[in-house]
Amino acid sequence: MGLKTSTKPFEERIAAAAADKFATASIAQSQDAQYVKREGARSELGHWQEWRKIGQSIRQHAINYLPDYLEEFSDHVDQRGGSVFFAQTPAEANTYILNILKEQESRHVVKSKSMVTSELDLDQKIQALPDTTVLETDLAEFILQEDDWDEPSHIVFPALHKNRDQVKAEFEKIGYVGDNDPEKLARFARHYLRERFLEADVGITGCNFAIADNGMINLNTNEGNADLVDSIPETQIVVMGMERIVPSMKEAEIMDNLLARSAVGQRLTTYVTFAGPKAQDEADGPTNFHVVILDNNRSEALGTEFQEILQCIRCGACLNVCPVYRHLGGHGYGSLYPGPVGAVLSPILGGYEQFGELPFASSLCGACTETCPVLIPLHPLLIKHREVETDRLKMMHGFKDTQMKIVGKATASPFLFKMGLQFKHFGMQAFTKHQTPTALNFFAYQGAMIKNGPGLIKGWTDVRDLPQPPKHKDDFRVWFEHHQANQGGATK
Amino acid sequence: MTIINREKFLNHLADRLDQPRHQLAQHPYQPISDLPQTTLADQTPAELLATAKTHSEKIPVTFVTTAKAQLGAQLTTLIQERGGGPVLLPTTKAFEQFQLTAWQQSLAETQQVDYWQAENGRAANLKLAENANLSISFADFLLAESGTITVSSGAGQGRAFHFLPQHYISVVPQSRIVPRSTQAIAWYDDEIKAGRLGSSAIHFITGPSNSGDIEMHLVTGVHGPLDVVYVVVTDC
Repeated sequence: MGLKTSTKPFEERIAAAAADKFATASIAQSQDAQYVKREGARSELGHWQEWRKIGQSIRQHAINYLPDYLEEFSDHVDQRGGSVFFAQTPAEANTYILNILKEQESRHVVKSKSMVTSELDLDQKIQALPDTTVLETDLAEFILQEDDWDEPSHIVFPALHKNRDQVKAEFEKIGYVGDNDPEKLARFARHYLRERFLEADVGITGCNFAIADNGMINLNTNEGNADLVDSIPETQIVVMGMERIVPSMKEAEIMDNLLARSAVGQRLTTYVTFAGPKAQDEADGPTNFHVVILDNNRSEALGTEFQEILQCIRCGACLNVCPVYRHLGGHGYGSLYPGPVGAVLSPILGGYEQFGELPFASSLCGACTETCPVLIPLHPLLIKHREVETDRLKMMHGFKDTQMKIVGKATASPFLFKMGLQFKHFGMQAFTKHQTPTALNFFAYQGAMIKNGPGLIKGWTDVRDLPQPPKHKDDFRVWFEHHQANQGGATK
Repeated sequence: MTIINREKFLNHLADRLDQPRHQLAQHPYQPISDLPQTTLADQTPAELLATAKTHSEKIPVTFVTTAKAQLGAQLTTLIQERGGGPVLLPTTKAFEQFQLTAWQQSLAETQQVDYWQAENGRAANLKLAENANLSISFADFLLAESGTITVSSGAGQGRAFHFLPQHYISVVPQSRIVPRSTQAIAWYDDEIKAGRLGSSAIHFITGPSNSGDIEMHLVTGVHGPLDVVYVVVTDC
């Protein structure tokens, strides 16, 4: 799958998302439920704005001194007996990981949820090995895998678009017998996955935060699957985006608190673990421990106006408040990272040619910026992307660009602007349908509505009401001049 | 072991940041607030116990308090209520500190009791944990704010000890109830840096395994224990 999750054009993805009524309703329900939980958890903690500043200060410091922290971290992993591989590209990371699997003649790989391994398309690469199986153990990721690797739709709830009947149908293919009760479905997954855990020889995890001053990996899960992945197999491979580092466990603990309250409204995630390679006197945990640190164009953001996006802790709160995500759903974005954070991050990681539409998939309402626990200015960064695309890269071509230039010239010239005001009513006549005037539409020019509007306004009239512009004599400015003249006042 | 591709990778980052490497000694992270340390820090031990109980029971965790003299009997009751053994116990001096050595012997007369012992190797210990109906740990801390117990792995108590059994009981002295994760992590950080704690894994456990991945319907027991009990020993 990789970073790009769909080859369909943006308009097609939007149409498909709008047609999926269950997913749309599910996302709306999720956003509403999460609002209550998230805001409740933040309110209970108190001083939320100060906590956000603390989170921001930790993340900004870590990014500002990223080379030093990564050096310190890798030294400590080495001292603990682990190996560290710095990968510039997904290809380098995959080659290193697949070589480990081949050298160790791995047969069964278990994974806990990791978005960065999805960036690598790692599951598919492992599956292509002739004698090795791979199994996602997070319940949602397991559901997606069983549905022929369906694409995720949310950072925290990847299977949000699936209903219980769909899950039941997928589980029946692997032996489930029963109804669509989520308790029973989850219990079936427990037994199925437990057997695979016990035979696994390699575990692959992501990394919430890497601890620079002791080389440990901090992982947060509610299911406990990451703890089984880093307990049972002899070998563990951690894959982390290079920015996911903090100075010490003390800062990780603060970030874990912000993460849990922002992601799902919990005080703390059920299992918060700090772990590294097995100590000599211990019985379980990985004997062979590898950390793969991935750039994959993250460094493109360093030293630029986009550097702050690297502060992200993947809580998904910005998705949960976004009105565009609410209607578009995760699949509409066509990126592994959907929502506002995805609209900022995807063009950096994958380029504007692939993800150039995403910064425009925003109403710029600013709800994402308001909720971000580490104060990333998300909607200002979307505007910066738009500036880069239009002003620096001159990417806006074709009919829309021509129209925008015409609008620009017309609104910059008083003569042309006034002429436009004179003819706007009659200019739109051909596109206007007259509805029966009602209390609702009366003030929208007495029921005269534009349908299938031309050019730039088509996108609006496809989904919204747009009244026919009034006749010139009914314009507010004209009316006001007459009104003032009648009152005996000055007209200019 | 090995570190591969580091210099080229880090030099590239330093170039992008337009600053030389090795600046941290002059610019360490300076906390901007004492909010983590002061939150809930004014609670008395009795208030911390009440807060811990309230928040634990919401998770949901079965929250039990007992005096040291009744701890053994309390544990026996909890084991029986959960269907008995096999019971997996840690190899630790904590049994002596809690005066539970006689209880250990009596329990073994009525239940199958196994011990996590690193010298028996990975496979044997994992098998015991997988077969155990119940395991009992001694926690380092109980966090009042979140209803969380913290444990560290070692020779006598491995990682899977806490996750594979069906039921999980954790014993913690009331004196080890702290306001929040801040105090516990500061202790672990100090112990590791001072070389007093050689553990490779520290776990913060907040109730039973759960998931909302199917229609956001919260279910418990997806991977880890199906239910969790905290036993607070009030006179320790």
